[in-house]
Amino acid sequence: MLRVEKVSHTFKNGSETTSVLHDINFAVKQGEMVALLGSSGSGKSTMLNLMAGLMKPTEGHIFIADHDLVKMSENKLSVFRRKHIGFIFQAYELITSLTVRENVELPLVFQSVAPSIRKQKAMALLENVGIPDKADLFPSQLSGGQQQRVSIARSLITEPSVIFADEPTGNLDSKTEKEIIGILLNLNKKMKTTFIVVTHDQEVAEQMQRIFTLRDGYMITKKQTPAEPESEGGEVHAD
Amino acid sequence: MRISDITRLAWDQIKRRKVVTGLCMAGLSIGCAAIIVALSIGDSAQSYADREVNRNFKMDEITVRPNEGIPGQGGGSGAGNSANKFDPGRLTRQKVEIIQKLNHVTAAAPFQEVGYVQMLTVDNKISDAQIIGTDLSLLTKYGNKFKQGGPSDTLGGVILNYGATLGLIDSETRKNLYEKMNGTYDPKVMEQYDSLSRLPSDMYQQQIQLQAPDMASQTGKMLTSSQMRVIGTLALPSGMDENMAMYDKKIYVSLETAEQLSEELKLNANNGADSSSSSKTGVFNSAIVKVDSVDNIVQVEKLVQKLTLQTSTNLFQKEQLAETFSMFKKVALGIGVFILIIASISIIVAMTMSTHQRRRQIGIMKVLGANMGQIRNMFITEAALLGLLGGLLGIGFSYLIVSGINKLVGTGGGFGGGEALVIYIPLSTLPVGIAFAIMTGIISGIYPAISASRTNALTAIKRD
Repeated sequence: MLRVEKVSHTFKNGSETTSVLHDINFAVKQGEMVALLGSSGSGKSTMLNLMAGLMKPTEGHIFIADHDLVKMSENKLSVFRRKHIGFIFQAYELITSLTVRENVELPLVFQSVAPSIRKQKAMALLENVGIPDKADLFPSQLSGGQQQRVSIARSLITEPSVIFADEPTGNLDSKTEKEIIGILLNLNKKMKTTFIVVTHDQEVAEQMQRIFTLRDGYMITKKQTPAEPESEGGEVHAD
Repeated sequence: MRISDITRLAWDQIKRRKVVTGLCMAGLSIGCAAIIVALSIGDSAQSYADREVNRNFKMDEITVRPNEGIPGQGGGSGAGNSANKFDPGRLTRQKVEIIQKLNHVTAAAPFQEVGYVQMLTVDNKISDAQIIGTDLSLLTKYGNKFKQGGPSDTLGGVILNYGATLGLIDSETRKNLYEKMNGTYDPKVMEQYDSLSRLPSDMYQQQIQLQAPDMASQTGKMLTSSQMRVIGTLALPSGMDENMAMYDKKIYVSLETAEQLSEELKLNANNGADSSSSSKTGVFNSAIVKVDSVDNIVQVEKLVQKLTLQTSTNLFQKEQLAETFSMFKKVALGIGVFILIIASISIIVAMTMSTHQRRRQIGIMKVLGANMGQIRNMFITEAALLGLLGGLLGIGFSYLIVSGINKLVGTGGGFGGGEALVIYIPLSTLPVGIAFAIMTGIISGIYPAISASRTNALTAIKRD
């Protein structure tokens, strides 16, 4: 489903170059839930941005559903993201002028989906994340945990191939963190959606099926957790 | 992306960003109001001037005269003086009859200019007037209304226009006044003369005589006509006031009476014109053609000219006015557009600021799948909506401004006793104003929209 092949990335700052990722290889299968674990500066966020097509790697290729993101133009990437990629941000990133339901519907707005269908889908997802009664409220009227639930619902509305969650519990207290991770695990099980959760939190990572650990731009470990399905594991090529 | 969604998202931003909305709308509304007011003043002034011109110059009439530039056949000079000679430029009864049958012609009649005479009443009052020989029954077709009496073919019957019933002064007083005014200016004398000139007299059924100097005798002797009777008087034409009417003194007579007067007063010899034998020869020195609409004047005039006749209309007055007002409108429109350009700078600045403030939101939208075109369209729609709102506010402003101007200038009366100039806002200017405002909004929104669409999603998200 997702393949990262020989990806390296370098940032240029004037004449100075900083290498942040070195020859990364891994693959994730459909319906898997994996963690990309690493401390600050490890390169995990860069890796996430590359996988989401928000940046292009200096070297290597990234495939999602057999499409090479590296070869796509900006506009093609936009269209691709609409269909195949969902996002969950650490800071939720909801549009404050829109209601909860409108926020959830937003990715479908860019796909010109009819309002009645959008509404139906959004309400079903809000039901799934446990806040159907908040549909007509604005994000500012919700708690952090509730906002993240909205963000999760929004990421799922296009039925994407993969959802990237960037520190989804980073802004939440431990109780809410458990709730959110519980929701993600539940949705993964229920909807068979692939999740790649970027986190620095070992405890969060442990709840995923597999863990890819990055340190200083190198993928140092790959670990199968007890949560991994017994039948099929993702292919891992860590150097 | 659906238009309704783009509009809704743009509208959300407009509602939310009140300062930006206020700034943009202020600029746009002032520009829009400037354009509407400018166009309205231009239109109002033009239609006012049109009305005044129509009132004073009878725009729907063509004056027809013989075409003296066409040489007569049969040799010799003074071709117009002989009815027997063939002169293609003559204004004949047959030609008048042809003109009467033309499309759009409501009336055509000879208006034979016989000459200027003095009118003398039985109580020795005197006034100057022009004698016009015409078909008296057609007078009403030319917008004349009878105040008293009506047309009749009786020989010696005259119809006085309103001006001819004013200012009849006894000859002794008139002589004294002229002597006092001769060479010196005395306001009191002038005032007295003015008031006497406006003095109306009941002339209906009065006996009058007409006088003219005998130019042939070279002695200054006055020739006097036989007794004539006023069979009708015309009312003051609508839109004309007495100040103007007192300078327009006409005595309408039948063509037969005109011929009689020409002979009695030797007017043919006096003015050298062929005015004496019109009823016999059927040749006239002037005719007036009334057309159903000013719009058809040119068309009818061309047809009349084909009869080798000279024509003149007052359309040139209108054309001159149109030219003047066209220039005025262009200048006014230019001022409005200039204000809009200034306004557009404020919109560009405000929207660019807004774009920077919304970089994060734009970034999120891009991450969620919005492409450059969609972002651009959202911003342009927002700018267009701002233009629409500015335009609507501008309409409100323009009504306030016009009402203020009308209050300021409303106390002054119209020229020549006509109605005062009232500025009104033609409905057709409203869409023009709104269109300009929307267009300015869109044009001003292009740069911020492109700038927004080029926002790098990642940078935007990382930024804050």
